[in-house]
Amino acid sequence: MAEHVGIFGGRIPAEVETLSKDLKDLDKELFRKILKVVVSAVEGKDCGEAMVEIGESGSLSEEKLSRIVSGLFKLLREALRFPGSSVKQEGFKEDLRELRISEEFIADFASVVFGNRRSALDAAVTQRGPRLPSLMEFRWRVDVAISTSSLARALQPSVLMQLKLSDGNIHRFEVPVSKFQELRYNVALILKEMNDLEKRSILKIQG
Amino acid sequence: MAAIVKETQSIKEAVAHINAIDANKFTRLLSRILQKLHLKGERSFSEDEEEKLQTALAMEKQALHLVLETTSFLLEQAVYHNIKPASFKQQLENIQVAPDKAEAFCQAWATAGPDVVEKIRQRIFAPKKLEHVGWQLNLQMGQSSQAKLKAPHAVLDLGVREEDESEHLQNVFVEFSHKELLEFYNKVRLHSFSFPLDCLANAVSHDTYLQTVTHSFLFISFFHSFFLSFAARDDSGSAGLPYLMSLLTFVRANPIISHCYLL
Repeated sequence: MAEHVGIFGGRIPAEVETLSKDLKDLDKELFRKILKVVVSAVEGKDCGEAMVEIGESGSLSEEKLSRIVSGLFKLLREALRFPGSSVKQEGFKEDLRELRISEEFIADFASVVFGNRRSALDAAVTQRGPRLPSLMEFRWRVDVAISTSSLARALQPSVLMQLKLSDGNIHRFEVPVSKFQELRYNVALILKEMNDLEKRSILKIQG
Repeated sequence: MAAIVKETQSIKEAVAHINAIDANKFTRLLSRILQKLHLKGERSFSEDEEEKLQTALAMEKQALHLVLETTSFLLEQAVYHNIKPASFKQQLENIQVAPDKAEAFCQAWATAGPDVVEKIRQRIFAPKKLEHVGWQLNLQMGQSSQAKLKAPHAVLDLGVREEDESEHLQNVFVEFSHKELLEFYNKVRLHSFSFPLDCLANAVSHDTYLQTVTHSFLFISFFHSFFLSFAARDDSGSAGLPYLMSLLTFVRANPIISHCYLL
């Protein structure tokens, strides 16, 4: 890369600046534990218990622990912002060296950001971004109306659909056969458009 | 065919009034009523129009109401039984409707009848009905937690109308990533879902519904098991045969199904 901007784009946040001082005399095992907790926090899991455990182990003051955790969290969040393909591992390690973090910690960090858990981390981050409700559960039923009060022999098929969305709403509605065909057609059309878009964007919109 | 209407006192009265109406005016009256027959809860004529009719047909309000209601009732019964025009004419003459009026009924029914039946057939009961399908395809370029994305995602806008609110269309927005949309599409087009639907849609055009309903489900299960037996066969190629034989014996043993298949 011609211009190496660095993961923070020139402005290093305060928590990360002080990180090097706090990490200097930190035990490696303890660092690894804290890093694990921070990773699960980024994934959105509840880490209250783990934090309490580390705090009670006694070797760190509460203040120091909270400074380390916030610095690591910020660092990890920023590192995960860029897709794995556009950040070179060496460049990333250089950035960390500039922050005066020791080598072995850098190695641990790089293994998180470029390791095989990266795609799971990315997926978790995307899920927590702002979204419209997505489909959690989809159930259906096909009915045939044999007769009604207006028609002795109706024989009209229809579809009953139940959608459970991620925001907790359950929508249940009847779909006439013509609308069902329209829905199928539209979904197929969107899929085709998505495929075309993905093929094109590989060629045009580069990193 | 059984009578579609019993000759009660009010029917007799109404028929007397109907027979007195001029033939041309009656034909127009019939076509107007047929147009609005499939709309439930809507009267065929507004207040003003009814008043004009009163003067045009030289009838009192009560008599006019009786005529309109009886004509609607007769047409509704015709729809219910899906009666043939000739049969309809016969039945009307049985309740003393004059021949020219019966002919007018018959003509109107022959021309507009099948449409009305189809419209009423399309009506389904449901608290909520899907009326509108819209969509939007976005390419997500970035997010506060992720820069340089290139994630296409789609938003489906399903317009659902409540049964009693004719104006208000509730929009249900559902977002899908590429993977999620593919899963949804597979669910919606999977054989176990749309195969019976397509099958039934063809089968229900026949009149003997019991035969066709069992026919379609047997059709599905037969083919399903046929393919299953093929998939399960070993190199000898005959492993599927016992399966088919047992299916056939089952079919023969069941009187209803074997009647359908004449096995």
